[in-house]
Amino acid sequence: MNDVMTQNMLVFAGLLFSAGFVGFLTRRSLILMFLSLEMMLAGVSINLIAFARHYGNFQGQVLAIMVLTIAACEAAIALALVVSLYRKKATLDIKAWDELSETLVPKEVEAPISMSTTEQVFPSLTPSGLDPLQDPVPSEFMANLKVGETIGNPVVNEKKAEVSNNA
Amino acid sequence: MWNTGLWKMSLFAQTNAESLASRVEGTWAWTMVIPIILGAAGYLLVQEGIVRHKFMLGLGLVSLAASAVFTALFLPPTLDAYIVFLFCIVATGGGVGFLTAREPVYAALGFATAVLSTCGILFMQSAMFVAAATMIVYAGATIIIFLFVLMFAQQTDLRVYDIKLTNPCLAGAIGTVMMITITYCVTHDGSFPLRKVDSSRLMSEALLPEELQSEEAKIEFSRQKLQSAETGPGIVPQTTAGLGRSLYTDYLIAVELAGTVLLVATIGAIALATKPTAEAGS
Repeated sequence: MNDVMTQNMLVFAGLLFSAGFVGFLTRRSLILMFLSLEMMLAGVSINLIAFARHYGNFQGQVLAIMVLTIAACEAAIALALVVSLYRKKATLDIKAWDELSETLVPKEVEAPISMSTTEQVFPSLTPSGLDPLQDPVPSEFMANLKVGETIGNPVVNEKKAEVSNNA
Repeated sequence: MWNTGLWKMSLFAQTNAESLASRVEGTWAWTMVIPIILGAAGYLLVQEGIVRHKFMLGLGLVSLAASAVFTALFLPPTLDAYIVFLFCIVATGGGVGFLTAREPVYAALGFATAVLSTCGILFMQSAMFVAAATMIVYAGATIIIFLFVLMFAQQTDLRVYDIKLTNPCLAGAIGTVMMITITYCVTHDGSFPLRKVDSSRLMSEALLPEELQSEEAKIEFSRQKLQSAETGPGIVPQTTAGLGRSLYTDYLIAVELAGTVLLVATIGAIALATKPTAEAGS
C-alpha cells in the first residue's frame, strides 16, 4: 500500500536527480556542471517535501530550507572558484584541468569540431611578417633564424648575391 | 460550508479524504521501463540532432512526447495528479533543454524553466514557503549570478567545450539504470512506510491525535484549532506559520548554524573571487 501522489513525486524527484547527474557527467563547461548540481539538489528538495506531506509534519520542509541554504552557499563558493579558475586559464573547459587527474590516464585527442552561428569563413591569406624588400633585415629577426634559412623574396636575394659577387 | 471547505480544499490540502482513499497497491510493473528508455533515447537523439540534423531532433522530441504519454497512463485519475503532471512535463522539458542546448545562455534558461516548474510542484505539495524561497533563491539569485559569470567569461561564440559532450551515451545509460532503480525502489510494494506519528519534534508535528481519526472529528478539531489559533501539535503541514514555529523552536540551533554557514560562505566567496595581489603572488 503506497500513497500514489508521494510515489509520483519520488519518481519525478528521481528523474530530476538523474537528469542533473547526466548533465554533470556530460557537460564540459564549468558553469553548466554547477548548474547540474543545483538541479540534483532541486530533486532532493522535492523528495523532502513529498515526505513532509506524506508524514504530515514540517520536518521535511525544514530540511528542504536547509538544503536551499547550503545550495546558496555552494553557488557562491562555486562561482568564486570558477572565476578564479577562469583567471588562470581563460577557459571554462573542464578538460583544461585534466592535469589534476591521474597521469597514467592516456590523453584524449580532441577532434576538431565546429558548429557556430556567428563564425564566418574568411579566405586564407599568405602569412604576413617581414617586408621581403626591407633592407637591411632587423637584427632581432635574423637572430631567430635557423642556420641556412633565408628570408625574403628569393628573386631579390639572388639579385643581391649577384651584386655582391660583381663587387 | 467552512467545515467541509477546510478538508475539501482539494487543490492544496493533500491529506483530504479523496487522496486518502486513492491509495492503491504498490504498482511496480515492468512496463514502467518503457517510458524511461524512451526518454533516454529521446535525450540522446535530441542532443545529437541539435548539432547534426533536424530529423534526429524531431525524432527525439517525438520519443520524449511518447514517453510522457506512457507516463500519463500510470497516473491516478485525479485533477491534482494531472496538474502536477503538467508541471512535471514542463520541468522535464526544461531539464532536457538544459542538458542538450549548446548555447550556455539557453541551457541556463532551460534550468530556470525546470526550477520554476519545480516550484509549482512544491506549491502543489502545500509547501508554500519553500516554493517561494526556491523561486527567489534559484530562479532569482542563482540564475542571475550564473548569467553574470557567463557574461564575464564572454562567450560571443560557441566553444569546443560547449558543443562536445563527454560521452553522452555512457552517461545516458548510467542515468537510465539509475532511473529504473529509483522507480523500482519507490514503486514496489511497501517501499516506504505509511504515515505514522513522529513525536520526536513536538512543534513540527502536524498529525492528528489518535482519537480524531474519523472525518467529522477531524473537521471539528481543525475548525477549533483554527479559531483558537493555539500552539501545540498542528493539523495540516501547510501553514507557513507552523513552519516558522517549527523552525524557531525545534530547529533553532540548525537555523543558527545555517546562518553561520552562509556568513562563512560569503567571506569565502569574497576571499576567493578577489584578484590575487602581488604580495600574495610572491
